[in-house]
Amino acid sequence: MPYPEELVAPMRKELTNLGIKELRTPADVDAFMKDKSGTSMIVLNSVCGCAAGGARPGVALSLKNESKPARIATVFAGQDVDAVKQMRSYIADIPPSSPCIAIFKDGELAHFVPRHGIEGRSPQDIAAGLVQAFNGICAAAK
Amino acid sequence: MGTFHDNKSELHGITVVVDTAGPKVYVGRCDDMDDRQVILLDADEHEDGKDGRSKEQYVQRAAKFGVWKKHERLVIPRAQVTKVQKLGEVYSGAPAAVVSPPKPAESPAPAPKPKAAPDANGAVVALTPNAQEEVRRLIAADGKPGLGLRLGVKGGGCSGFSYRLEFDQKKEGDTVIPSEGFSVFLDRKSLIYLRGITLDYQKGLQGKGFVFHNPNASNTCGCGESFSV
Repeated sequence: MPYPEELVAPMRKELTNLGIKELRTPADVDAFMKDKSGTSMIVLNSVCGCAAGGARPGVALSLKNESKPARIATVFAGQDVDAVKQMRSYIADIPPSSPCIAIFKDGELAHFVPRHGIEGRSPQDIAAGLVQAFNGICAAAK
Repeated sequence: MGTFHDNKSELHGITVVVDTAGPKVYVGRCDDMDDRQVILLDADEHEDGKDGRSKEQYVQRAAKFGVWKKHERLVIPRAQVTKVQKLGEVYSGAPAAVVSPPKPAESPAPAPKPKAAPDANGAVVALTPNAQEEVRRLIAADGKPGLGLRLGVKGGGCSGFSYRLEFDQKKEGDTVIPSEGFSVFLDRKSLIYLRGITLDYQKGLQGKGFVFHNPNASNTCGCGESFSV
């Protein structure tokens, strides 16, 4: 059951204020994934304080890095259910968890951070892992 | 790191690997952990050697991407648990910091006596060694190794509720309690009434059969087949 939108809105804004595009419908997801060129990243946001509470500021820190995905989007687990289902269809071999972060290169999944790679970690740790992935994937794609 | 839940264990919300002394290993999100049990949500289980994978190989694979949940809620008796480890520490390749569950309370003897009632959050259902042995024997005799033991209650009986005891498959929403060689299933309604029970199997001159010791029951009928709360 979705949480009240007024509770979730600040969590959405934490990412959208960074310029990250929010995908609210399956059509939004398909449109984003249709462009297979270069690098992209989808952050699966969630209300979970144990994990997403660190993931959002971790993503924010990681985007200060010079190399980063060319296109970045977010979907919200438990809220925009159809959009999340559609997003997961692009990584159907991976067990669902939220929050999680998927980085794609030329339309293929290049790096994946599952929930257990986020929970209990500081934003700095999460950012460090993402930056390492960006430097390996996105710098090479330039 | 129970961010918003001070009343839960430090691993609340964290995905953990729960290893046991037996062939099984579990991965799931820790809901709570105390000296009686480890409660996992969205959990998967693996048996050593199944699908050609050892426990270690299964955990390594789980660490890479996660697990597909088999159980919404799984209660693992503390006595079976040898180690609880954050899956994220396997994922990162960092030194494996092991968080040991609290030691079980000291008990003078391991006699299969009924246990004290757990608190309101407790969900333990215990089977004495005699009961476990009898269930294993009956399942083996039935010839359907995938079956588990379903414990439940239904209205009726001389004291208000009757116990249900049958072999069944796991159903959606069940709480699953692993035991050696089989699992115990309880639906949500039954769990409310059966939390804290001990199932015993008695054999003796005065007859034999399964006996429920229910700390929730305020009154039990003479035959022991029904109770009230």
